[in-house]
Amino acid sequence: MNQLGPGVATLEHEQTGRTDPDAVDATLAASGDASAFERLYRTHVPRVYGLIRRMLNDDDVDEVAQDIFVRAWQKLGTFRGEAAFGTWLHRLAVNVILARRETLGIRRKRYLDSDAALETLPARRPGPEMAMDFEAAMERLPDGAREVFVLHDVEGYRHEEIAQMLGLATGTSKSQLHRARMALRQHLER
Amino acid sequence: MSDQWTERLSEYVDGELEDGERVALEAHLQSCTECSRIVGDLRRVVRRARTLQQPGPQRDLWPGIASRIGATPPQAGGVVDLTSRRSPRQWSFSLPQLAAAGIALMTLSGGTVWMLRTGSPQPAIAPVASVSPAHPTVVNAAARPSATQSYAAAMADLERVLADGRGQLDSSTVRVIEQNLQAIDRAIAQAQRALEADPANLYLNTHLAETMRRKLDLLRQAAALVPVS
Repeated sequence: MNQLGPGVATLEHEQTGRTDPDAVDATLAASGDASAFERLYRTHVPRVYGLIRRMLNDDDVDEVAQDIFVRAWQKLGTFRGEAAFGTWLHRLAVNVILARRETLGIRRKRYLDSDAALETLPARRPGPEMAMDFEAAMERLPDGAREVFVLHDVEGYRHEEIAQMLGLATGTSKSQLHRARMALRQHLER
Repeated sequence: MSDQWTERLSEYVDGELEDGERVALEAHLQSCTECSRIVGDLRRVVRRARTLQQPGPQRDLWPGIASRIGATPPQAGGVVDLTSRRSPRQWSFSLPQLAAAGIALMTLSGGTVWMLRTGSPQPAIAPVASVSPAHPTVVNAAARPSATQSYAAAMADLERVLADGRGQLDSSTVRVIEQNLQAIDRAIAQAQRALEADPANLYLNTHLAETMRRKLDLLRQAAALVPVS
């Protein structure tokens, strides 16, 4: 999307030159159109929900998902169209999730003690009946390694962005990702 | 088993090594079957992560969200009471006049949308669009100041798409679209003039936003008819 001037976004898709339906709905929603916001919700809830489920070992995924969309509604006025609406929404979702983690008392220490925890991740045993599902293996990663793995490999964020979001050094993000991948490679379907 | 390269294999898979390091590692991979196997596994992990399914919630979360943002549809038979929110009339158009204009506008735009959807340039028997939206429009006070600008930008985009592609559309279709856009523009201008006299009036702001939304809907439908070049 292009900028016409401060705070005024155009809605043209960069590659196709056609109008981005999400951006139009975001504009409508920002003016109070709840139907437009519902369309945005229906489009983006699967990915947002997946992000929450993978980032939080929390029974309150539904509640967190609702918090994210309510926060998005409140913050729509700050969406200027510099990025796609989905990108804006997912960044907001990550912030809500990280705040939730802090509320749950999960501290940065998770990045320091995760090496030992990775050792406890059981290896995949042969035979389909004993196989650990890849998603289940992800859930058993230490919190820090799982966060970096989800943000980088599932959500597509770069290490620099992850480091900024999580308050880490870029090198720590890289090493956590490598450790997570090394643990998960044992749980690949062969 | 590990060697000096083991910890760098993810960076290699992600294309993040400097050229010199990459060349050296690729030379190492020629002779180290363990590292080669790990690189293959890491690539499969990355592919697996990118193809994970994104199952949504098992129950519909929208009603709870709608309730929290104040967008819950009214109960059947319920009436939205706007009188307590209205300030004294200070504009030159009466509410019945605006309501009549709105209904006429919805008829016009509904007819045009019907025409666009069916491909017929004759909107003579067009159905009247629903007078009430599925959900009442909720004014998002935090976002309202930039809404008009954003609408204008959105409409300018769509108008440009339409202008660029009008040569590819049937001339009678273009004529009907333009007639209805002119009618909507007149309604927008009326609402804007009324707002100059009473800028904070909730009804007028909502009416303007709704009229702009209808223009956007119409433009969006029309622009969708233009083939992608």
